[in-house]
Amino acid sequence: MIWDALIACYLFLAGMGAGAFALGAIAGWGKDPALTMKKVGFIVGPVAVAVGTLLLVVDAHAGLQNPLRFFYLITNLNSVMAWGVIILSVFLVVAVIDLALLLVKKETPKWLDGIGVALALCVAAYTGVLLGDAGAAFPLWNMAVLPVLFVVSAASTGIAVVALATHLLAPAEVGRVALLKRAGLVLPLVEGALVIVLLAVTAGAPGSAAAAGQASVAALVSGPYAVAFWLGFVVVGLALPFALELVRARKGAAAPERSVGADVAHDGSGKTLALVGDAGVLVGGFMLRYLVVMAALPVAFM
Amino acid sequence: MSDKRLGMLIDLSVCIGCNACTVACRQENETPLTKFNTWVESWDAGIDGRVTRANLPKLCNHCANPACVKVCPTGASYQAEDGTVQVDPERCIGCKYCMAACPYQVRYQLESGEVDKCTFCHHRTTEGLLPACVSTCVTTSRMFGDLNDPDSDISKKLAAAGDKAKGLMEDRGMEPRVYYIGLDETLGAEQLSAVHKGGNVLRRREEGNA
Ligand code: SF4
Ligand code: SF4
Repeated sequence: MIWDALIACYLFLAGMGAGAFALGAIAGWGKDPALTMKKVGFIVGPVAVAVGTLLLVVDAHAGLQNPLRFFYLITNLNSVMAWGVIILSVFLVVAVIDLALLLVKKETPKWLDGIGVALALCVAAYTGVLLGDAGAAFPLWNMAVLPVLFVVSAASTGIAVVALATHLLAPAEVGRVALLKRAGLVLPLVEGALVIVLLAVTAGAPGSAAAAGQASVAALVSGPYAVAFWLGFVVVGLALPFALELVRARKGAAAPERSVGADVAHDGSGKTLALVGDAGVLVGGFMLRYLVVMAALPVAFM
Repeated sequence: MSDKRLGMLIDLSVCIGCNACTVACRQENETPLTKFNTWVESWDAGIDGRVTRANLPKLCNHCANPACVKVCPTGASYQAEDGTVQVDPERCIGCKYCMAACPYQVRYQLESGEVDKCTFCHHRTTEGLLPACVSTCVTTSRMFGDLNDPDSDISKKLAAAGDKAKGLMEDRGMEPRVYYIGLDETLGAEQLSAVHKGGNVLRRREEGNA
């Protein structure tokens, strides 16, 4: 195993941070801005991405012992990792400035938010492209599917972590961002579909990648990673949050007096459902990165 | 472009799987325990109802289109003037991206964090010597030289072999510059045993001593 759980944590944190920042920005844009949510997103975003980047540095042993070598990091611009370093750095600078403005001046320029959201998208996609560029060696790391899958998962986990904190800090704000209701139902479906596509193209990898592709898929669905895949990712990460969201949507529909846009005064059980669902999404988001990193077999695995 | 392109040609029909190359390489390059720059994979193969021993020496392919060089963010992995792929340990941060990207999985990480692999004995070839594995090979299965020089022994043998000479997993797009004669026969034969990787012996002894 070349990369392990540490790199999976990095991929997860970078995605979650990017998603959280983007949601924070969007939450502040509406007519009736959800300011706690914005603050949470703006704090979680850069912190998660920074911690993730730190893990990457810690994993690079030779650099850790000779820190000056990190200056070489952007010498080869053919390398996806070099671009990643640039993207992560610029995102962190923009996100931290935006956060500082929010804390000091209580508002942020929309254009800066917009740049931050664009960079967040780059961060999320980059984590997939990073693995994808080693796809010639690891058929599971498919360049066509992974970046999109990781962006969708970044959106889910970013929303989940911000919603989780907002449920606890300012429950009234959660109902204000209309986007969230639909996201909770749509994203798990999209993510599930993308994972099916990923497994299908991996299992069907041609030529010298065929054996490793099939073995990687088998490791996930029926091999050593099957429990983590089915229970950790599919059930806890996708099915459970989706089901809970469905229950909450039904409840909302059954109580029409809580009109859309009005602050929904959550009853106790609704809040618990939401918290459990959000936690499930976070577990699933980590499991996805972990499984994609760990279950991948190289084409030369004989 | 560099006018030199060093490469290797391994004639599988004469390789007897003795692992003399494996040993010579270890002595020459002092690779760490359990890590190998070259090794021989051997297994029982069935051809037309007969059982024979298949032997497949492996090493870095010094690819002409190497993923390891493309992905290396620091430029530590690079293509040298002579077409070989080298690692500059002074630049390597140990991110392991090259290890992940190499379809042949020939790279490993040193205790100190840097990544290493076969250099085609760069320190020897620049002095006019052959790589240790080539000069030690008891059946002259391994041949080494400049692929861009049509008069070199390796170019002549490659030309004579025509499309019988092939690289490993050419569909990975790396353009490997280690060629094999008899690769299709070796890989096409029915595999009748587990694969013995030259070097397992050492690992077992090491564990036994621990
Ligand atoms: S075999 Fe692997 S390490 Fe060697 S040049 Fe090719 S891609 Fe790079
Ligand atoms: S481990 Fe070293 S040689 Fe390999 S990609 Fe990273 S910096 Fe380059």
